[in-house]
Amino acid sequence: MALPLSYNWRNLFVRRTTTALTILVIAAVVGVLSWMLGFWTALSGSLSFAQDQHKLIVLRQASTSETNSAIPPEESNKLSQLDREVALDPTSGQPLKSPEMIVQVSLPRMSDGGRTRANVAVRGLTDDGFKVHRNVRIIEGRAFQQGQLEVIVGESISRQFIGLKMGDTLDLGYSGNRGYKIVGVFSAGGAPMESEVWGPLTTLMNAYQRNAYSSVVLRLDDKFNAADVIRKVEGPTIQLTAQTEAQYWDAQAKNVRTYLFIVSGLVGVMCVAAAFSIANTMYSSVAARSREFAMLRTIGFSGRAIMVSIMIEAVFLSVIGGLLGCAGAYIYLQIMGRTKDMFGASTFTTMAFEISMTPMIVVYSLGAVTLVGLLGALTPGIRAAKIRVVEALREA
Amino acid sequence: MTITYVLMQNLKRNPLRSTLTAVAFALPMGIFVAAISMVVALIRISESNQQELRLATHHKTTIINMLPEGHRMKIEGLDPDRKRIRAVCGMRWYGGRVPNSQTVIQSLAADADTFPIVYTDAGMTPADTEAWMKDRTACVVGYGIAEQRKWKVGDRITLDSSVPPYLKLDFNVVKIMRTESRANVMYFRRDYLVESLKSAGVEGGLCNIFWIKCADVPSMRSLQDDIDSSFANSPNETKSEDELAFAAGFIQGMGNLPGLMQAMAIVVVVIIAMVAGNTMMMSFRERSKELAVFKAIGFPSRRIFGIVLGESIFLAMFGAMIGIVPTVILLISFPLRQFGFLPIASLEVSPMAVGLSVAIALLVGVAAGLWPAYQALKLNTVSALRRA
Repeated sequence: MALPLSYNWRNLFVRRTTTALTILVIAAVVGVLSWMLGFWTALSGSLSFAQDQHKLIVLRQASTSETNSAIPPEESNKLSQLDREVALDPTSGQPLKSPEMIVQVSLPRMSDGGRTRANVAVRGLTDDGFKVHRNVRIIEGRAFQQGQLEVIVGESISRQFIGLKMGDTLDLGYSGNRGYKIVGVFSAGGAPMESEVWGPLTTLMNAYQRNAYSSVVLRLDDKFNAADVIRKVEGPTIQLTAQTEAQYWDAQAKNVRTYLFIVSGLVGVMCVAAAFSIANTMYSSVAARSREFAMLRTIGFSGRAIMVSIMIEAVFLSVIGGLLGCAGAYIYLQIMGRTKDMFGASTFTTMAFEISMTPMIVVYSLGAVTLVGLLGALTPGIRAAKIRVVEALREA
Repeated sequence: MTITYVLMQNLKRNPLRSTLTAVAFALPMGIFVAAISMVVALIRISESNQQELRLATHHKTTIINMLPEGHRMKIEGLDPDRKRIRAVCGMRWYGGRVPNSQTVIQSLAADADTFPIVYTDAGMTPADTEAWMKDRTACVVGYGIAEQRKWKVGDRITLDSSVPPYLKLDFNVVKIMRTESRANVMYFRRDYLVESLKSAGVEGGLCNIFWIKCADVPSMRSLQDDIDSSFANSPNETKSEDELAFAAGFIQGMGNLPGLMQAMAIVVVVIIAMVAGNTMMMSFRERSKELAVFKAIGFPSRRIFGIVLGESIFLAMFGAMIGIVPTVILLISFPLRQFGFLPIASLEVSPMAVGLSVAIALLVGVAAGLWPAYQALKLNTVSALRRA
């Protein structure tokens, strides 16, 4: 027979200070844990929308990203050797190839009121770009028109940088003296491209005095395997290099991942400390209640029931602490801002993330902390179960 | 019977609790010392950079856009008497990539004549400067990179560039820079790069950034405005900022790790305070009768206060030691410099960081023991003895 839950619940109030202090330890750990899970979710969510296996980013050999790649138009013509592998535009019948150019503009961050700035990528593309980048949709306003001084901005950065609202004018160009009007906001389902500003290829190349593309993005025919095409691109006749969208962004997210690995390591250590703290509390609770347990055994509760009861009590502690921690993290995000942006590993332009406290994160955090609670309560529980009834009853 | 004896007996009486507390204290303390080390290291680097009185002037739109090298003379022309400007050093990003790998070394081409003046923190001796001026392929390398790549003075190295036109260049290592602030960067002569670029048919006379060594802080502030206004409304407008502001942008770009570490340090202090406080409360609760006996047999209250407080401090210091010592040993034996990624690379344990950690542990020990010790002081002997 199991002990009633109300027994555990009421026990938490017997040693109020100890309970409160333990809960606060757990809350502090879970606060950091849930923030970290939020960031991981934001990162993996963003990358999961950049997994198009049939989108190939062609770069100059020796470059590490679109930022430092330069493909002169005559070089890009060599890609016509791939016309069999590249998908055709159903309307025009032309192969879907999008020559693109990446330049940068330094913009003030909203999160610190413009005190610091970050490099934001500006991508110039032709109308074919929208056919190659299939996941991009205009969610506000309209697309830019070729030949005009117009741009559209990604949903994520429009929320994180100052001066990227619809109707604003963005100064672009090598000298920053060409005013581009923001005519639309686009979504890429959360993919890293939402951290970019898009505009017409020709006017941007002109404004930045460029005569080479940065990359050519291809949409492959479904029949072909990306790895085979990449080999052909790197072969002797083309001598460029290519990556699938997933490979490209995965490599660029290396910085963010390193950052998160560090945080995860620290949170892991904190969780172990929390488990020790719970163990400490439960041991003391078990020691103080040895007569109580002996009595429970005498009236017929099994050792196992007592052990389960101790574990349940620890889970109570953990869950209350966990909820407090999640609430704390939520409040922190509300006050300090949910935005975070980090440079790509070699793009030298920023990737913007938005950390939110989703129900899933609360569930994961509570799950993790319940596990920590159970681990911490395991040995005290065993001790409680093994209590020597007669001796414990005889104790003063 | 000394206080120490009583203290040790008390800790030994419940070894399980002492161990659990010590471990629960030690783990966060390990994090604290690492976190605070990074914060301290970065503060130290930024302080030493500030003393260098350098101003960074780069293109207004973004640092990737380059300025003509002629800007150097124009900047120098703002101060013909050389009252405010010591020297101007133009730099261009080279982004040297280790051949056959994706590892990019932070490498910049710098004006040969002014580099040793602008970068006094590179620690160039007259002999180093001579070697640097004599060999066009000379380069100076921070010790972080040198350790990681196993380069030493006299080595000839080859790097590919990761930026167009991807020039492959050979260098001669003439100096390993030993200062923390220059640990992860490499400089070589810009005249060498310009010539190589020209022979590759590319315009070479461009700089990403001009570093201006100023005479003093007021000069730096006035130059900052003078430079930007003198290039205003030209095709190559500039933005000037001091080294601290310049670095802040990069640190933000790397996820603001120092900010994260500060936050972690605060969370950790909260955790250890709770852990220590919890143990002391528990141990006081169980022993109130014993303390009453001490009082009854004539121990002065002050001494009882000392026993409880001493136990708390001892436990905190012990926990701190077993947390700090292994972390410090680990960080010294495996320097994170090798990961290159900037704010992490500067994580180095300093005596100051260790001192700060010990001080925090001490403070927590005192704070956690204060309330139980006060209660012990006020303990009513008769009623405590009557209890139970």
